[in-house]
Amino acid sequence: MRQKPNIFVLSLGLLALLGGCGDPANTSQQYDHGIARAKMDSMLDSNADSPVHTIVMPHDEPAFPPGPGRDEFVTACVVCHSPRYITMQPRFSRTTWLSEVKKMKDVYGAHISDEQAVQITDYLFSINGKAGTGQGPKGTYGE
Amino acid sequence: MNRRGFLQLMGASSVVALTASCNRNGLVTGTLPGTTDLARFPEKTELILLTDRPPQLETPIHYFRQDLTPNEAFFVRWHLEGIPTSVDLRSFRLNVSGHVRQPLQLSVDELRSRFYPISIVAVNQCSGNSRSFFEPRVPGGQWKHGAVGNAKWTGVPLKSILDRAQVKAGAVDVSFNGLDAPPLPSIADFVKALSIDHARDGEVMIAYAMNDQPLPMVNGFPLRLIVPGWYGTYWVKALSDIAVLPQPFSNFWTDKAYRIPTAPNGTESPKELAKDTIPINRFNVRSIFVRPEAEEIVHPGIPNEIEGVAFDSGYGIRRVEVSTDGGANWADARLDPEIGKYSFRRWRTSWTPRTRGQYRLMARATNAVGETQSKAQWNRSGFMWNVIQQVDVKVA
Repeated sequence: MRQKPNIFVLSLGLLALLGGCGDPANTSQQYDHGIARAKMDSMLDSNADSPVHTIVMPHDEPAFPPGPGRDEFVTACVVCHSPRYITMQPRFSRTTWLSEVKKMKDVYGAHISDEQAVQITDYLFSINGKAGTGQGPKGTYGE
Repeated sequence: MNRRGFLQLMGASSVVALTASCNRNGLVTGTLPGTTDLARFPEKTELILLTDRPPQLETPIHYFRQDLTPNEAFFVRWHLEGIPTSVDLRSFRLNVSGHVRQPLQLSVDELRSRFYPISIVAVNQCSGNSRSFFEPRVPGGQWKHGAVGNAKWTGVPLKSILDRAQVKAGAVDVSFNGLDAPPLPSIADFVKALSIDHARDGEVMIAYAMNDQPLPMVNGFPLRLIVPGWYGTYWVKALSDIAVLPQPFSNFWTDKAYRIPTAPNGTESPKELAKDTIPINRFNVRSIFVRPEAEEIVHPGIPNEIEGVAFDSGYGIRRVEVSTDGGANWADARLDPEIGKYSFRRWRTSWTPRTRGQYRLMARATNAVGETQSKAQWNRSGFMWNVIQQVDVKVA
């Protein structure tokens, strides 16, 4: 079991900052358009009389097994979306996983280096790859 | 809640819980497709969980036994992680700006009190509804048939608001932005646009009520753009900013995403992808079985009620034919009275199978201009599925 707790903490801190998890220092700060990022433990489903309507999003994310590329996956992918984006997919060929990673990098704007893209692709293929399709461009970033 | 082979943690959305979740390692052993996870989100009932962050939740088919899909069961689909979780109606404003003489900043109360309200019953359907049925499989939200719903939307015609803002001559497009925000600056904000003529057609509207109730937060509270007959990608949730543009709108979400091949029903070949694509637009015609559901067991010698819903982009459903023998013979189903041209149209028929065995049920809808359903269909994005549905049932 290979872990790098510091990276997890770092990425999770970033996730909390970016993920609408709230601003723990301020319970009433108003942002544009009246979005209030209320303190986590004060978030309650608002009642009908209140002008402030608030919900608390559940977190229900699968944890992923150790393996080469897991850290890169957690750092680069999970910062923007749940790992369920992987687990809901059918088993894809390595070529398809590579094109998905490239789409995230080149089209959506994920911060992934070419080297990380290969590592992430290998990891995704290892956990949700279609048997017999891993020969292709393994270990390369090319098409 | 369990997805085979995965460790999951429900509950407090704290960093502590997340850290614990991410530091424990589950083992991914089983195959994932085919399992169904249910999850309960705020203001929602238990729905089929595709993803939790941002949320994508699918409506179980049995809710379509009701003509109006309950708010708590209506499907959910967001693109960006930063979805709004709190809105203060005292400070929330709908901003109308750009190529107008009179920019507006409207509160929800002002929308309710200063404009004449309309209601329309309309289907909202995700562009990728039924994506998991494309073969070969394509990446994306692996919806079955429940990324769709029918609701009564109440609010203000967009035309009334644009007229109040006094659109200047030469307007081309109108863009729509919501409160959701990208998790990284490099990721494009989710903004969509309609042509000025479409925006002013009197039917496109801004809804503050869904089935006579405020919208659930994850369905777009407090305001949602309603684009009857068009795919859900245009129905911008938590709508906060409208901009009238003197030039065509351009961004990632229209130039690169949500595009379809130009062939009918967005079809192309996996071996030869279409070179020309256009933005996805109005619904094609389709029908969805409500009962029996797939794999349901029915009994021989007694009448079994078969029913479903059909819809199109607003021409109106004129005919639904049903086959109980895998497509060899077809008979017309009865249509319930039309609720509205953009609504689900319910169809029913009675079926008395004589003998036990496996049967394949099929349903085929046709609209007022003769559009009907696909026999085969594929595109790289998994959009616009309208293949004639097959439901295999066991008579026992």
